[in-house]
Amino acid sequence: MYYWQWLKNVVRIPHTTGYPSEPDAVVENMLYQDNIRFDPGVNPAPGFAPRSVAIRQVDGGSCNGCESELGLLSGPDYDLTRYGFSFAPSPKHADILVVTGVITQAMIPVIKGVFSQMTQPKRVLALGSCAIDGWVFKDAPGVVGRLDGIVPVTVDVAGCPPTPGDILRGLMAAVESHSVPSQEVHP
Amino acid sequence: MASVLTTTVQYQTINNYGAWVKAWQDHRQSGYESILLTGDQESLMAWLLNRDNGDILALHHRVELSTKLGPPPSHFGIEETLMSEHWLARDWSELGWEISDPSSARGKGLFIYPLGPVRADVSESLLYQLIVMGDEIVHVRLKNGFKHRHVREIVRGRTVQEAMPVVSVFTMTSTVHHSLAMALAVENAWGIDIPLAVNVTRTLMAELERTMSHLGDLAALAVSTGLPVPQMQYLHLKEQVLRVNYGLFGHRYMKGAIIPGGVTTALWSEDPRLSEAQGVIEQVLHQSTRIAHDLEHTTSFLDRLHGAGVVPKSTLETVRPVGPVGRATGLEIDVRLIRPYGAYHDLKPKTYTLASADSYARFRIRTQELRQSLTLVLELLTRWDPSLVPRITQHQERVDFLPKQPWGIGLVEAPRGLLAYGVRLNQDTGRIAHLSVATPSQRNWMAYAPAMANGNILQDFPIIDASFSLSVAGLDG
Ligand code: SF4
Repeated sequence: MYYWQWLKNVVRIPHTTGYPSEPDAVVENMLYQDNIRFDPGVNPAPGFAPRSVAIRQVDGGSCNGCESELGLLSGPDYDLTRYGFSFAPSPKHADILVVTGVITQAMIPVIKGVFSQMTQPKRVLALGSCAIDGWVFKDAPGVVGRLDGIVPVTVDVAGCPPTPGDILRGLMAAVESHSVPSQEVHP
Repeated sequence: MASVLTTTVQYQTINNYGAWVKAWQDHRQSGYESILLTGDQESLMAWLLNRDNGDILALHHRVELSTKLGPPPSHFGIEETLMSEHWLARDWSELGWEISDPSSARGKGLFIYPLGPVRADVSESLLYQLIVMGDEIVHVRLKNGFKHRHVREIVRGRTVQEAMPVVSVFTMTSTVHHSLAMALAVENAWGIDIPLAVNVTRTLMAELERTMSHLGDLAALAVSTGLPVPQMQYLHLKEQVLRVNYGLFGHRYMKGAIIPGGVTTALWSEDPRLSEAQGVIEQVLHQSTRIAHDLEHTTSFLDRLHGAGVVPKSTLETVRPVGPVGRATGLEIDVRLIRPYGAYHDLKPKTYTLASADSYARFRIRTQELRQSLTLVLELLTRWDPSLVPRITQHQERVDFLPKQPWGIGLVEAPRGLLAYGVRLNQDTGRIAHLSVATPSQRNWMAYAPAMANGNILQDFPIIDASFSLSVAGLDG
């Protein structure tokens, strides 16, 4: 249907727009706000991350704000692959479970199922104020309002929604921590 | 400047149930759009919007439970309020409305392909059952309800101030519009007017949100066709807009910024660098136009979109989809023009429509609206003077008024389409007695399944899904 355009494209010069090419001060600031440091591990060459961690996200009843911010991690401004993270479609390939939302009764079996299918070692991130304590939905019918107790939570990332920088710091804290559960990340 | 509140609500009471449905059907055929279906205190109300002058008509039916009511409105081909109907049927069993499970398809060689509630990279919980014959999708069943947060129930009995934090997180990617629709509804009941400077601020926030939302949707659409470069570019622009929001209003999504009676200024920056914001928006406008232009010349992209996920004619009549999805089918409903609120009286945005009703039309409408929204943002930034906006640093500073009329209606054009709030306030205490919300996603999901099962194959699924870009939070509520 578009052969003519296809031909035109052969001679056209492709262009890209607005891709950030230099370190971004906003991101750097967000990442190093407190003492949670990005520890490069045993002996990597400077700037290389010895990490390959797959994330599986499950929505436990969110307003889609947490998903929006989490989705931006794959954007060029944050680019989570630089830190050794990626998203996994299947729980069986995942190392970190990220749960957003208020945790409804209907989602409990799903969350437990996903967690049980992940292989050891595994970590759990409670993303956003909803997953930590139910936020403004504490008393809603059918809402549990707390991820901890359903699966063992490694790190809480508070905020509504937490910024992508907070989420990255939380992910790093989750993989760097040796004991489970341990830390909290607050914006 | 003309006030929004001068628009009248007409009430009409019809005692016979059959006649009530008939009147609803007739109005629907002649220039009226259904916006809400509410059931409250022994009465059913169908709220309709006049497409020509923006007037609102409430068809009221007093329910006599001694006589049998008759089948629900969807039985008569009125499907845009189907979700409200389901809630009514569930909470008010005396109505005797039977809600059947979504229909399935059976036959030799048919295979049910379940997808969800955990799916894709980052996504909301919804279970799709794609019933396929080989590669072709012949039927789609959607199972929702995994994420009910019961927004409507928990705000009942609260004061308006106490309800706002809940309403504002109905759907975060439309938080401005949810807060605004609620504020308009409450102000409508209170009978108060809003200063121009506040209206300009609200409109600026609304257009920034539309920009952000469309950029995210376009990114998702680009990657659904396997094009990560435009996806990354759009995501970068979305991040730029979120940072502008943060710079001006102190929150990336402007959550809680709009309250009944005004806007909260607590988080605003002391020194909003307007010219900087303007520069960023100009860049976003320039670059997004260029990406859209390039996509329009990418054959592999266009080939996947044209003719995919056409909304069938019969669905258009029963569901009447709204927002970019509706405008891509030729239905021209834009609340900003029909019933202007905020500063839209003199902004007069243009409405874009296309008739092909496919994924390409939805893409095209979004890129056009994005460009227009960015232009509106630029214009509003020149008009906006933060020093004229009354400072309200906390919700509590604004006292709750007592309502002048029991019902208040708030209508806005959210990024995904017509969003309606109907609120009934207690005459003595001013507390919320009843809240109804009709989100654009509730309505457009009804058009989703028929469009998906309209001669498409499995490989089209992610593309059509992204071109609708509906929210599950808005569906489940
Ligand atoms: S924490 Fe906030 S942004 Fe995240 S799901 Fe809850 S309400 Fe939405």
